[in-house]
Amino acid sequence: MTARSPLAERSGHLERLGARELVFLAQVDVRADPSTAARLGFPVEPNTVVSHPDRDILWLGPDEWLVVGHAGTAEALVAELEASLGDAHHSVVDVSANRTVIELAGPSRHELLSTACPIDLHPRSWSDGRCAQTVFGAAQILLQEREGTTRVFVRPSFAAYVVDLLLAASDP
Amino acid sequence: MTSRRLPAGGTWIDRSQPIGFRFDGAEYEGFEGDTLASALLANGVVGGFRSPILGRPRGIFSAGIEEPNALVAVLEPWVDLIVPAPVVPLVDGLVAASRAGVAGLADGGAPTHARHRYRHVETLVVGGGSAGRTAATRAAGNGDRVLLVDERHVLDDPPTGPDVRTMPNATALGVYDDGYVVVHERVRTTETIWHIRAANVVLATGALERPIAFAGNDLPGVMLAGAAVAYVERFGVAPGDRIVVFATNEWGLAAAEILHATGVDVARTVDARNGEAVTEARGEAGVEEVAVRNGDGTIEVVDADLLVISGGWNPNLTLWRSIGGGLRYRDAPACFVPDGGPSWLSVTGSAAGDLPASVSVPFVEEGDDALKFVDLQRDQTVADIAVTLENGLRSVEHVKRATYIGTAVDQGRTSGVLAAEIVNALLGEGPGAQGPSNARPPSTPVPFVALAGPYGGDLLDPIRTTPIHPWHVERAAVFEDVGQWKRPWYFPLEGESMEQAVERECLAVRNAAGAMDASTLGKIEVVGTDAPAFLDRMYTNRMSNLKVGGIRYGLMLGLDGMVLDDGVAMRLAEDRYLVTTTTGGAATVLDRFEEWLQTEWPELRVWCTSVTEQWAVIAVNGPRARDVVSATGTDVDLSREAFPFMTFHDGSVAGVPARLARVSFSGELAYELHVAGGHGLEVWEAVMAAGEPYGIEPYGTEAMHVLRAEKGYVIVGQDTDGSVTPTDLGMDWIVNPSKGDFVGRRSLRRGDTARPDRKHLVGLLPVTTDAQLPEGAQIVLEDTGRIPMPLAGHVTSSYRSPALERSFALAMVAGGHELHGRTVYAPLPEGTIACTVTSPTLYDPEGARRDG
Repeated sequence: MTARSPLAERSGHLERLGARELVFLAQVDVRADPSTAARLGFPVEPNTVVSHPDRDILWLGPDEWLVVGHAGTAEALVAELEASLGDAHHSVVDVSANRTVIELAGPSRHELLSTACPIDLHPRSWSDGRCAQTVFGAAQILLQEREGTTRVFVRPSFAAYVVDLLLAASDP
Repeated sequence: MTSRRLPAGGTWIDRSQPIGFRFDGAEYEGFEGDTLASALLANGVVGGFRSPILGRPRGIFSAGIEEPNALVAVLEPWVDLIVPAPVVPLVDGLVAASRAGVAGLADGGAPTHARHRYRHVETLVVGGGSAGRTAATRAAGNGDRVLLVDERHVLDDPPTGPDVRTMPNATALGVYDDGYVVVHERVRTTETIWHIRAANVVLATGALERPIAFAGNDLPGVMLAGAAVAYVERFGVAPGDRIVVFATNEWGLAAAEILHATGVDVARTVDARNGEAVTEARGEAGVEEVAVRNGDGTIEVVDADLLVISGGWNPNLTLWRSIGGGLRYRDAPACFVPDGGPSWLSVTGSAAGDLPASVSVPFVEEGDDALKFVDLQRDQTVADIAVTLENGLRSVEHVKRATYIGTAVDQGRTSGVLAAEIVNALLGEGPGAQGPSNARPPSTPVPFVALAGPYGGDLLDPIRTTPIHPWHVERAAVFEDVGQWKRPWYFPLEGESMEQAVERECLAVRNAAGAMDASTLGKIEVVGTDAPAFLDRMYTNRMSNLKVGGIRYGLMLGLDGMVLDDGVAMRLAEDRYLVTTTTGGAATVLDRFEEWLQTEWPELRVWCTSVTEQWAVIAVNGPRARDVVSATGTDVDLSREAFPFMTFHDGSVAGVPARLARVSFSGELAYELHVAGGHGLEVWEAVMAAGEPYGIEPYGTEAMHVLRAEKGYVIVGQDTDGSVTPTDLGMDWIVNPSKGDFVGRRSLRRGDTARPDRKHLVGLLPVTTDAQLPEGAQIVLEDTGRIPMPLAGHVTSSYRSPALERSFALAMVAGGHELHGRTVYAPLPEGTIACTVTSPTLYDPEGARRDG
């Protein structure tokens, strides 16, 4: 038996957008006090990402982060985070299936996103290592700029809507 | 018709590029760079328009968006139902028709591509005249990203730079708080709504020339002086052969010289500053002669086909005013200039009042007031204003509402200040005593198709689907919208009606097994040492003494003590719960948790995380549920002893990590299988395959509703409506007032919430067993046959029960708890249905079936 990714049916659409679905990335939601997080090397500057070879740590709020790792590593990440947070007031929740990830590549990706995403994606305020919780049309999304690509984290039930809206917008 | 195109000149047009177009059915030719208005004038079409109410002949009056007369519908290549001809750029194949101030609806869909775009800049300049260009260049010099928008289709000498963008054909529709500006751009058939965020907004919106109200001032051939100059200079078109100029200012008189230089015969200039005035324009279909009062009071009649007027200039402050910018009166140019306003918004150039000196002459004394037009689009005159004042109105805002002056397509661009000054004059107050009425966005009519952008059809609102959705589609499910979710309503077999399908699905659950996709349930993980105490405060019952591995049903109340949501809590660890919410309540409940934690109880050590889509949920219900789950393959001991009702176990199902929970919304033996979303479809398929020998059927929300209603289980939002307490539902057992405070507890102690005649949840059994009550039917205690009758309640849920082999309903009936066994009535147009009141629990009241 094989797991099925939320956008399995729309791979052709993604191809037309120069995009792909990053399936089953490990995603762990961490809630903790900012001082605890700082001690662990989590980003404390709003909307920034700290990247390690095996994981990205995305700032979601003053007391919330998303740790993103390779597919299949969620269980190990949860265990490691629980151990390092120890007795500190915290919450670690595996949310790997709670969002899927659309990876947009190509130089026009920010222009494409600006069709329905209200934040400033100009290089002056948006560059590698940044992330932001925002919307695309009527869907909540989490954006991450990463190594020349833009990752769009979206809840699976909204993923098809986001892809269809991207396609409608990319129609010149 | 004779051509009015001058032999040379016209900075906007390219005479080497002729363009054909159709207007009101006739073929014409213009040049690249023309507007529809300039091309019509060049072809000798000055009039040809009608006023909307009086049907008077009207002609092109202006050269911009302020045009009140020359309104057209563009039919090809795009569709615009009503737009001023001076702002329609001439394009090849343009087809347009005149409109008498009233738009019709388009036939069929507009051949339009509509899109939205978001942009952020440090400086947005609205208006590409010299002041706007200067502001843009200065901002670019500071390193700003600059966007300059202009509603005209040609921009003279546009500023350039690496981060400078100029956008013609782009109208700022509204300026909102914190530099948010909505711009509508049209390039042929592409409509774009630009959502601009700017740190600084500069309004360089220029000035609009003020008309003067005199008798016959609405005749074709009466034109604003600035417009006449624009037609000559930009388009090389002479709008008349023999003209009279009537001006209150030096600029207007200078216009006469410009026109004269093109070879036009200037028959007379009339200078209001010397006591001169045009007292009447006369003619059949257009201006033929002009009556002039000389400085000595004598009247002279001059032959002319064009009467050019300039009553001074008004800063164009529509956008400024729509964000709350103030006005003050300035004497020398005799106009209202900007005052105050937010720090990020500035006004420059003639919009700021940098204008030639003028005297104020809103109207001319002589002549018939009923022919002195103020608002050409509303056919309102000085006489109409005078009547409203005689009736006691004084405020310009009241006069506007009484006369509709300023409410037409042009939004009072030419009539607003004029009307205010006429009011001031008629009330014997000085110029500027009252300013014009307020302005609101959109500054210019904008097609709905542009505002809608891509958000039509399936993109109107997100359509949310579960991981199992492809199976439902394959199985030809009929879907029901539950909020944004598409949920299977029922799964008809070929040739089956809804009633037949639902009956089959219900019987499968009661007699064998059924599976339902319950993935849409809201799910929240509540984590922290204070999680037990927190949930005790959020639910009416105690959650803190729930054992790890246990499940408890909970009701959540509003501050008013009314039922808000329900669900179950599973205790995953001492400091960790998973709570479920209704499908529609997921976001509300999480927001509510966060609100209480962040604003009222910040001392509680609790974190909440939404995991709604982390888990796909498959509900397997029915006497064979244990067999089905067992056959699907699990490492969890499913026996009654090892796995009692309202407990859960973590393990695997079909080779996939899963949480198995014994909760039932049907009253039957039931297992909920929670698996990671990506595994939802494969586990569902495994369940359906394993269940086949046991007669498993997929069932949808309708069967789920029937099954739960047979058990008297309420659906929050269907059987409740925000005015129902737990007591009303007969659920006192779930309210634990001794455990300490919880949200809604205080309100439950109000006398009114304990009134015995409140509506209570009851079951209703129609005396005729196949009579089905419509949901929403009103219930009365006595069938008097006389209308009105005292109403006692209403039906909230009504179904046919395959298990009970009869119809039944749930209802909220006043004092219902005391009415069990009584007959009540639902008077309906097609006849009264008599019903027996019962307990809402109609099926298996002893709960014998839940353990299989």
